[in-house]
Amino acid sequence: MANTKINKNYYGYIFTAPFIIGFLLFSLYPLVYTFYLSFTNMTMMSKAYKLIGFENFKKLFDDRFFIQSLLNTWKIWLLNFIPQIGIAMLLAVWFTSTRLKIKFVGFWRTIFYLPNILMPATIAVLFFNFFSFYGPVNQAAVRLGIINDAIEYFRHSGWTVSIVAFIQWWMWFGSTLIILMAGMTSISPSFYESAMVDGANSWQMFRKITLPLLRPVLVYVLVTSLVGGMQMFDIPYMLTDGRGSPNGSIMTMNILMYMKFSSSKGHIGAAASVGVMIFIVTCLSALLIVKLLSEKDSKNNAKAVKGEVKGYELHN
Amino acid sequence: MKKLISLLMAAFMLMSLFAGCSNKSAETNNNTQSNEPKVLRIWSFTDEVKTMAVAFQGKHPDIKVEYTMIPMTNGEYQTKIKSALQAGEGPDVIALEASFVREFIESDYLEDLSDLLPLAQQLKTYQFTIDMATHDGIVKAFSYQATPGAYFYRRSLAKKYFGTDDPEKIQEIVGDMKKFEQAAKVIKEKSKGNTYMVASIGDFTNLFFANRQQPWVVDGKLVIDPKVDELFEVAKSFRQNGYEAQANQWQEGWFAGMNDSLVDAKGNPKQVFSYILPTWGLPYVLMPNSAPKEVKVEGSDKTKTVGKNTAGDWACINGPMPYQWGGTWVAAVKGTKNLDLAKEFVKFVALDEENLKNWALGTYTNEYLKKIDPTIGDKLSQGPGDFVSSQKVVEEIASQFDNAETSKFLAGQNSYKSFAEAAPNISLKLLQGTDDAIQRALNDPLNNYAAGKATKEQALKQFKEAVKNALPELIVE
Repeated sequence: MANTKINKNYYGYIFTAPFIIGFLLFSLYPLVYTFYLSFTNMTMMSKAYKLIGFENFKKLFDDRFFIQSLLNTWKIWLLNFIPQIGIAMLLAVWFTSTRLKIKFVGFWRTIFYLPNILMPATIAVLFFNFFSFYGPVNQAAVRLGIINDAIEYFRHSGWTVSIVAFIQWWMWFGSTLIILMAGMTSISPSFYESAMVDGANSWQMFRKITLPLLRPVLVYVLVTSLVGGMQMFDIPYMLTDGRGSPNGSIMTMNILMYMKFSSSKGHIGAAASVGVMIFIVTCLSALLIVKLLSEKDSKNNAKAVKGEVKGYELHN
Repeated sequence: MKKLISLLMAAFMLMSLFAGCSNKSAETNNNTQSNEPKVLRIWSFTDEVKTMAVAFQGKHPDIKVEYTMIPMTNGEYQTKIKSALQAGEGPDVIALEASFVREFIESDYLEDLSDLLPLAQQLKTYQFTIDMATHDGIVKAFSYQATPGAYFYRRSLAKKYFGTDDPEKIQEIVGDMKKFEQAAKVIKEKSKGNTYMVASIGDFTNLFFANRQQPWVVDGKLVIDPKVDELFEVAKSFRQNGYEAQANQWQEGWFAGMNDSLVDAKGNPKQVFSYILPTWGLPYVLMPNSAPKEVKVEGSDKTKTVGKNTAGDWACINGPMPYQWGGTWVAAVKGTKNLDLAKEFVKFVALDEENLKNWALGTYTNEYLKKIDPTIGDKLSQGPGDFVSSQKVVEEIASQFDNAETSKFLAGQNSYKSFAEAAPNISLKLLQGTDDAIQRALNDPLNNYAAGKATKEQALKQFKEAVKNALPELIVE
């Protein structure tokens, strides 16, 4: 009988095999191959190519576009992530609050999630038409007297960046909301009940109970959003001319990579070098977040639990 | 027992993973074995070649044409072809547009079609369309179009602001870029700013590109022709003085000028005096967009019509500068298994007298095409008026356009005849494979300078940096 227990471990490998095979074939191999490609001068228009060492990377840092696209990506991500998590958090607290007892929570949740299932291409075209020089936003704003003259939104860097950040926020806060709500509902209501008995107000309950216990979920949201944000492509690509106009203000790292790839000869090597840089930047920042937050996480968690236990003991 | 069940389940999981692949390969095997019709795969960026493909199928019922349309708004089509060809999964025939045809002609992805040259000689195909598709003495593609440039203006507005709508007199008024700018000023002043000379700066950039002295790239180095400098100045003058409507080319506001439905944010109606479009611009762009359009009324299901029918109010002249713009070439992809069929198709599209005549005269109506393939829908059709690449055909049919729709649209003017005069003088010796990338890189800096947001030095620097970014192997000083 003792043997069957060991034998069963064997099935674990079989059941995980499809994933492992898929990962090796479709994730690890392309990753390694991208590193290799970034050291070549391969193009799409000819079959011959050779290894050129760090030439691609040197060129990448020589012109200002890479640094600019890196800064752009961070800027747009931060501009949409901060309001995204803020508003999602606020709504999640409201929706899960036992005090407020908001009705039709499921309905609201669906409504807020809806933008996420629309095609990014459709959304980009929609917003482009909204904000075009002869579009409805200008027409309405001028006729209501909000502005004096029509604005060319897509020839001002500030406006264009704001519009992209807004779209990203609008599309993603619903999905963040759902994850946060899931995290919040998994917190035992007894914590809140005892806090209420102690006379804690909503803010205190949020600070002392919800936030510390939600930390693992927050780390997850932050890291997935960061990875997604660093790969931002479809909205800024479709919104203007596919080159991050005006002034390259919405040229993200992925757009830069695609530009290299789709340039007249199709420079695969140069594009791969951008891809490698995106990989490095994303990895480093994700690791940093996990390290910073999880350290705090374990400390604070311990503290919070200790505090709760103490409070509970005192009451008894 | 449990062991057996779990093993079976694991096996099923693995099987379902690979099931998709095996099914597919079995299907393709069946196809080649049985005697089904031969398949010709064609990729293009508009529906024009599809019309040809349906007509081709009408002549060859034994062939099945698989047509794929990919838009090229931001260069998606070019990228898609390149990656497909690189992977060896391209179609049999591809259509290539003027702005990127050279890249492909200079690459080794296209079949040698030089043996079709005698046919081209018989049809007196315009030499520049052949030069464009020739590299190292090998012809790799043929075009069914020749695309000399033209200038279209509104007769009623000309009468209002210049006192005449006579094409010859208007040609004198807008005869070169200086006069053109002066005319724009007159229109603005007399209309109190309610009529614009053109809808966008993009309208006249092609004129400057076509009239450069040097190509963009000489000995691997970027050359900025003095014409670019002129373009900067004219663009700035038009933007700062309000001579252009600040519309985006190929977007709503730009089209709105064609049927007089342009309304600014305050609700004032605005008009556009002229559009700078080549041969294909008349049947494909100007005519379909110069009729009233139905739009939805906000907050109800009713529709209202905006704009008016401007047909008959247009005239066509040479405009400020001679130019040519666009054109579609068709080529056979190297290594295709259907080389003979692909060649047959290229021959039919570009070098078949009957087809070219049908094409130009609008024989391929929706009913005609539906008889061949009922599944094409109600929209696919080819109206008369496209200017074809064969001088022989052009000379034969030019007089037939005296009473055509296009001529009625231009108040009796036969534009086909004037295109026929302009076509033999076109030269495309400046065109290179990198033009598209370079000219697209110029767009944003040009707009910045025109809007007064960058000095010329800054704009030129932005341009050079953008070129360097798009074309890493080019030397930019």
